[in-house]
Amino acid sequence: MDEEPERTKRWEGGYERTWEVLKEDESGSLKATVEEILFQSKRKRVTESHGQVRLGMMRHLHVVIDCSRTMDDHDLKPNRLTASLKLLETFVEDYFDQNPISQLGLITTKNKRAEKLTDLAGNPKKHIVALKKAVDTVCIGEPSLYNSLHLAIQTLKHMPGHTSREILVILSSLTTCDPANICELIKTLKSLKVRVSVIGLSAEVRVCTVLTRETGGSYHVILDESHFKELLMLHVKPPPASSSSECSLIRMGFPQHTVAYLSDQDAKPSFSMAHLDSSGGAGLSLGGYFCPQCHAKYTELPVECKVCGLTLVSAPHLARSFHHLFPLQAFTESPAEGFCQACQGELKDKSIFTCPICGGVFCSECDLFIHDSLHCCPCYLIPDGTISVCH
Amino acid sequence: MASEEEINLLVIVVDVNPIWWGQQAQRETDLSLSKCLDAVMVLGNSYMAMARTSRLAVIASHCEDSHFLYPGKSWRTGDSSGDDAYSSGDGKYELLAVANNFIAEEVRKVMSKTEVRGNSTDTLLAGTLAKALCFGQEMKSRILVIKAAEDCARQYMNFMNVIFAAQKQNILIDACVLDSDSGLLQQACDITGGLYLKIPQKVALAQYLLWVFLPDSEQRSQLVLPPPAHVDYRAACFCHRNLIEIGYVCSVCLSIFCNFSPICTTCETAFKIQLPQMVKPKKKKLKQPT
Repeated sequence: MDEEPERTKRWEGGYERTWEVLKEDESGSLKATVEEILFQSKRKRVTESHGQVRLGMMRHLHVVIDCSRTMDDHDLKPNRLTASLKLLETFVEDYFDQNPISQLGLITTKNKRAEKLTDLAGNPKKHIVALKKAVDTVCIGEPSLYNSLHLAIQTLKHMPGHTSREILVILSSLTTCDPANICELIKTLKSLKVRVSVIGLSAEVRVCTVLTRETGGSYHVILDESHFKELLMLHVKPPPASSSSECSLIRMGFPQHTVAYLSDQDAKPSFSMAHLDSSGGAGLSLGGYFCPQCHAKYTELPVECKVCGLTLVSAPHLARSFHHLFPLQAFTESPAEGFCQACQGELKDKSIFTCPICGGVFCSECDLFIHDSLHCCPCYLIPDGTISVCH
Repeated sequence: MASEEEINLLVIVVDVNPIWWGQQAQRETDLSLSKCLDAVMVLGNSYMAMARTSRLAVIASHCEDSHFLYPGKSWRTGDSSGDDAYSSGDGKYELLAVANNFIAEEVRKVMSKTEVRGNSTDTLLAGTLAKALCFGQEMKSRILVIKAAEDCARQYMNFMNVIFAAQKQNILIDACVLDSDSGLLQQACDITGGLYLKIPQKVALAQYLLWVFLPDSEQRSQLVLPPPAHVDYRAACFCHRNLIEIGYVCSVCLSIFCNFSPICTTCETAFKIQLPQMVKPKKKKLKQPT
């Protein structure tokens, strides 16, 4: 395990003269330099792309949250736990937005034990409710990396081979209390093809470095809260699928949404299968989604039918993932003037971005919007007169 | 920056497909392109007259490209030097007169200069909607689509991307359909929370526009508006384009098939033949890599 050469640590390299990056203009103001730096960091996200790599679309991700004594520290306001939980709420929403057919589960660890906060589920509401309630937990004791990973493996090892199995650990403590040898657990994780990534809140810990390196995940330590948010958002995008993951045809159902009114003669109220376990859930309702195989009713999609086991989705859920499969090419930057073809704004002293396929010209804000949210080019006329779709 | 007065933007996307409108003119129906644009101008004027902070934009969606009919290119810099030529003689509020003249001029230019090349006769609506989204980035906006020609199936992916981007930005997409029902626009209205209406009588276009599409989303809860259309969210299989209720989805490229096949036609991956997941394998061996 120790054969890989370690990268040089920060204190081993030469001096980094960070003050030379900032340059003043004639009036002594730093505004232009600061704007340039912000602009470059936004552009960096846009130009990074995986290229033609197969991605793991159906993901099963467990998030392990450290609730030990160190999470009470006040370096993130108001304390590390509250800040982390708030960022995780945004993460859960973005995760289900970008990966609608994936599942997420939450685990907390404190007092040398690990506990499941929520089961692996495809519905974001349950997780957000649990995260909001978890703000009141008392942070005591030491975390246990072994126990939390072991608990996550119990559910992940039963997942089918074509899905990606991932664990994301948010670790703030520098210690961990394990009942058994964690190196054995790392070997088990590798054999089960589980990818573990860690976001450290304090400092780099050797066992996490080894863990993430062996399982193929990433390890980062945060600098401040905005860096924390950026690192979390890195995990929203689907990761490249490992070469040994199986590809299979998954049987799925596409139920119709029936809307019935009390004035209809045939309207029959029924219970939703999803609320059978919860005591305070919705009662009888008229419309809903009926499983095409067993006609069990559900109020929301996507869901796995409890009666017959068929995964129920709707076509837009699959369509949400298409932009990962057909990513939009980055536009080429060049200094020129004119009008942005998308927002009709004038471009003065800024660079323009040209789509390499259709030649459309856009300003920097539109370019950022197109690559971040829109994922398709607004103009698609190829100069030779044929019309196609810019991808 | 006045913080109480938020700018409300209405973007009207008009489908000016020359083939469809030409067929309408040949059949000598009551609705011609000029009458449709008259109705659009009535709606635009009414919207701008409702509040000082209302802004209007009109985009024409053609077979190959989309053009902004209003506002012109220098709107952001506030350049109004060209507006002196457009003073109206009937005492109308100057902004409305300017807007009407601009729209009329630009649509004449668009229809006379744009050629229909190639063999594509479909209106490319997805790109126009994308431009409308880029235009309305900083302001609270909503989009009204007036659709004439039929849907183009090739635009499905771009269209869905645009719909999800609009949903994330809380932009409503309303649809006013003149001829045949459009499944794509029904999905757009359902996902973003807008209104879908297929007009029963094309002659009364202005009436429907003013009645249904003029009020903003906050005012709509107090009105009795046409009920939401039933949207068919079943997926179409890639092999036959039939709507299916149970299908097989490739785990790599998410293409949908109605029958099991050993190779995916889209991404050409070979699948392992497995038992359905609800049956635990007892006698047959599954190849499990350990």
